[in-house]
Parts: sequence; structure tokens; C-alpha cells
Amino acid sequence: MDFTPTPRQQELVERAREFTREWISPNAARYDRSGEFPRDICREAFKRGFMNPHVPKEYGGAAEAVVDHCMVMEELATGCSGIATAIDGNGLSQYPVILAGTDAQKRRFLAPMTEELAFSAYAVTEPEAGSDVSRVRTTAAKVGSDYILNGVKWWITNGSVASWYFVLARTGETLTGFIVPADSPGIVRGPKEVNLGQHASNTVRVTLEDVKVPEAFRLGDEGKGFDIAMATFNHTRPGVAAGANGITKAALNIALSYAKRRRTFDKKLISNQGISFKLAEMMTRLDAARFLTYKAAWLFDQGIDNAREAAQAKWFAADVAMSAAVECAQVLGGYGYTQEMPAEKLIRDAKIYQIYEGATEIQKMIIVSKLLRMKEVH
Amino acid sequence: MFEDLRRLVGRIADAFKRRFYGPTFRCPVCHLVLAAIDADGNGLLVCPVCGAVLEIESVYGHVVPVVLDMEIHRPQPKLRLHPLATHLPIGLFPFAVLGALLLAGASLARQLGLGGILGAVSRRAPLVADATLVLLVVAVGFSLATLASGLWDWNFRYRRRSYRQIRVKIAFAIGFLVLGAAAIALHLSGAVFSSADGLMRLGSPGGVAAAFTYLGALLADMVVVATLGHIGGTLVFGG
Repeated sequence: MDFTPTPRQQELVERAREFTREWISPNAARYDRSGEFPRDICREAFKRGFMNPHVPKEYGGAAEAVVDHCMVMEELATGCSGIATAIDGNGLSQYPVILAGTDAQKRRFLAPMTEELAFSAYAVTEPEAGSDVSRVRTTAAKVGSDYILNGVKWWITNGSVASWYFVLARTGETLTGFIVPADSPGIVRGPKEVNLGQHASNTVRVTLEDVKVPEAFRLGDEGKGFDIAMATFNHTRPGVAAGANGITKAALNIALSYAKRRRTFDKKLISNQGISFKLAEMMTRLDAARFLTYKAAWLFDQGIDNAREAAQAKWFAADVAMSAAVECAQVLGGYGYTQEMPAEKLIRDAKIYQIYEGATEIQKMIIVSKLLRMKEVH
Repeated sequence: MFEDLRRLVGRIADAFKRRFYGPTFRCPVCHLVLAAIDADGNGLLVCPVCGAVLEIESVYGHVVPVVLDMEIHRPQPKLRLHPLATHLPIGLFPFAVLGALLLAGASLARQLGLGGILGAVSRRAPLVADATLVLLVVAVGFSLATLASGLWDWNFRYRRRSYRQIRVKIAFAIGFLVLGAAAIALHLSGAVFSSADGLMRLGSPGGVAAAFTYLGALLADMVVVATLGHIGGTLVFGG
């Protein structure tokens, strides 16, 4: 068991840290206030190789290991998890194509994204189908050699900037995945949703009205969509956990910096045990969340089933991030409650980690479902 | 349309701040946008508006200010000359620009043989031109006093501390003077306006070039004076 990052990983982390300090953190408050999509930062991230890292080499990507990707995500999210989500949002929709796409589909939809800045989106959630994906009501009716899609997709990250969508639709009793170009007639993109946090991340409603999709754009066989959509999360959840770890790291750094300099009762704030113990707890929880995250990522890279570990990492890291953000605000006192300091944004941003890509309760259900298949826990 | 324009202006202002201010943060007390680079060697910065003594540290690119003290006994004269003096040029200059634009419209209308309101202006062109010149001279001339009162404020109220806002204001005030003086010189030179009818000389290429230069200087100066007013406003009222 070796916890030492390789020289390549260290170099990758340093590059990501430099990019975060230079591009993300200084602009975090601006994009949080304006709610604009950070295209300029994404363009720079693309130039530096931080976008689409998992696309296979034969399609122009870097085929980066999930462990390495988690290290980068933690750095980016330390600057702003909303901007980090905008940069990394492609992964969620690209992975179904990597997993189940044909060579022609990969060349058509993945390869161009490694050549110039482009976005794609994972369109699965619907107004009446969130955690329970099996309730998806969007229909895909076979008409000749095409499918006609109708339905409403909801809270679609990168929805208004995407050039194509991974869409899960109902074909009879089962669900099937499709790649749907965003310029297809019948695609209507809604306005940007005003969410609690992650304002830089673009989240919209996407309506499909008689959208014609050729059979060649179907992912895998009919009825395999649910499996593809769920298998994607084993790949992406460690990355989401790493994003939550980034929030925890930002909260810890800000609280530490503040507590070391702010004076109360004629001594530094950090001299009070009530404050310093909070920092000790944040640091310990961050490390615990990181170990879960990296283990889940490492298992995936080894080709071992990581569904339980990915769920554990995502749930735990999200809860740690939420509590760290709240504690950071507590350390900053009244200033933690104002928009002028970065703590309140961390609270707003952290909350979504307990909800998206499977709510905390869903992660626990996954863990229990794995436990039920065990005779003993070792 | 208006929202698009507002966004465009906001983007230009943001780009301007990034270029001249570098990494910024908001004063946690009065919300003024401050440049982290203005902190001294010990990382200390006094907010020019509220007097909060801030210790600045950057962690992961996030600027984290800590309020160490409040500079309560700072020089705060009862009568602050600069905010008062600034309103004369800022108030008069837009009317000078309006006069010049009316004259340009009237001159163009004369060339095209149009009447209407612009025709009425063209009949009173010498009077409008004289009024425009007087407004220009008073606005630009008085801005010398405004600049002097600003330097006085910086010396005493702000204790000659380095603030990006004040550096930009000094540079823009000099720019306002130079552009304003150029416009006055062009106005007086006779290259822009005809002494016979008071209208712009749009009949010759040289006259058109002079008119464009004159209007360009005035409009650029309008942007400069609006920016000066905006930055000055933030130094009085906070962010």
C-alpha cells in the first residue's frame, strides 16, 4: 500500500493548482454574482488539458486515470466548485459513449471535443424522475430507421451550451440511451435555472418535441439505457466526491487563514480550543473523505466493481463538505455570513453535492444493497 | 436590448478592473472593491471609505481579509472640497457634448437640405456654438481645481496611500484635461466651425476630418468623465 503520488501526479496537481489560483479563485465571486457561464475559463482549461481527460487516446483524449482526475478535480473545486462543474460537466455525458458507443459514434461525438472547446450534457433527470430514474417518461418511438423523442429533461448541467446530449428515453417498457445533437429540430432549451449555489454552472430545462434521432445514434441495444446510465456513475461519482473535497479544502484554508490572524479577547482566534478543534476535525474529515475517494477511483482504474465504494465516497465527501463549509462560516463569525467573504458561497455550493448524481439517501441504499449480498464484512 | 447593453458595459468594466486592479476583493465592512496589490509589505491595507484596517492573505487564490482595527481618528474635514468641486465639470461637460452633437446634426441637416428641429438649431448655430464653447471652457478649466482638490484629499484624507482607484482617477483626470483642451483648441481654431454661420464645415474633407476629431475627443472625454464620476462615487459611498 503506497500513498505517495507519482511524479506525474504531483506535476498534474501542481499544474491544476496554478490554474486554480490564477484563473478560478480570482473569478469565483464574479461568476457567482453574475451567473454567467465561465466560457473564458473553460477555454483556458481546455488549452491546458483539464477538459475531457478520460476520452480514449484513439479519439484524441488522454485516457486519464480516474485517480488522477480526482486529484485535479479537488484542486479546481477548491477555487470554485461551480466553475469546476462547468469544466468537468462533459465527463458525465461522454462516459456513456465511451462505455457503450460504437467506433463511429465515438469518432463523431468524442473526437471533435478534444480538438476544440465544446460541451455536452447528460439529459436523464426529468421533473417527475430524479433519484428514481426508472420513472423517466420521455418516449422514443421507432418510426422507420429513426426514433422520435418527446419529453422534458430537467436540471441539465451544461444544457444551454451543449452541442449534443446523452438522452435516456422510454422504448416500450424499457429505457434506451441516445446521442441527440443539440441542433436537432425540436430541441428547446429553457432559461438558466437560478439555483442556491454553483451559479457558474449552467443548469437548464431541455424539451424534446418530436426530435428525430437516427438509429445510428442509439447507444447500445434497446433496453440497455438504464444499465449504461447507472454504470456511468461508478466512473463519475469519485470525481464528484473529489469536487466536494475541494470545497472542504477551501473551507479549511479560509478558516485557518482567518483564525491565525483575527484577534479576540487579546489573543489570536486559533488560540481558543473551541475554534482550533473545529480546524482539527475539518482536516481529519478531509483526509478520511480523500481516502474513500481515491479508493473508489483506484478500484475503477483496476477494473474492479466500485459501486459501493463510489457511493460511500460521494455520500461521505458531500457531508464533510457541507459541515466544513458551515464550520468555516462559524469560524469567521459575522463575516462568514456576508457575501464579501468566501464562506457563505461554500455553504451554498456544498449543498448540491448531497443531492446531484444521486442524493445521499440513494448512496446509502446502494451501500445497503451491496451489504445484503455479503455474508460477512471483512 | 437595454439588458444586453448593461451586460456589455459590465463586461468592459470588469475587464478594465482586472487589467488595472489585478486580483480584487470587497471590503467586508463597506463593500468597496479593493485591489489586493494595494496592501503594504505586511499585507495591511486601510479601506479608503470606511477606514477598516485590513490584513490581507491569499489562500488558494481566495483573498481573505481580516479586520484588525478601524481607523476612526482619520482626517475627515467637515468640508470635503473634492466631492463638491467634481460636480461642476461633471455637470457641465455633458451639456457641452450635447451642444456639439446638436451642431453636428444641424450641420448635417443643412448639407442634406432637411428642416425641422435641426433646422431651427442651424438658424441659431452661432449662439449654440458659443454656448458650447463656454460650457467646455468652464468644465475643462474648472477641472484643474477639481484635480487639485483631489490631490489635496489624497494627501491628507488618504495619507498618500497607494490605491488603484486614485491612481486611475489621476490618470483619467489628466486624460480629461488633455482631450478637453484638444477639443477647445479645435473649436477655437476655426477648423471645425464656420465663422459665417456657426455650423460645422462639412463641405470639405478637411472640415469633415476636423469635425470627426472634435466629436471623437468630446465623446471619449465623456466616457472618461463618467468613469471618473463612477470611481469617485464608490470612494464616497462604498461598493
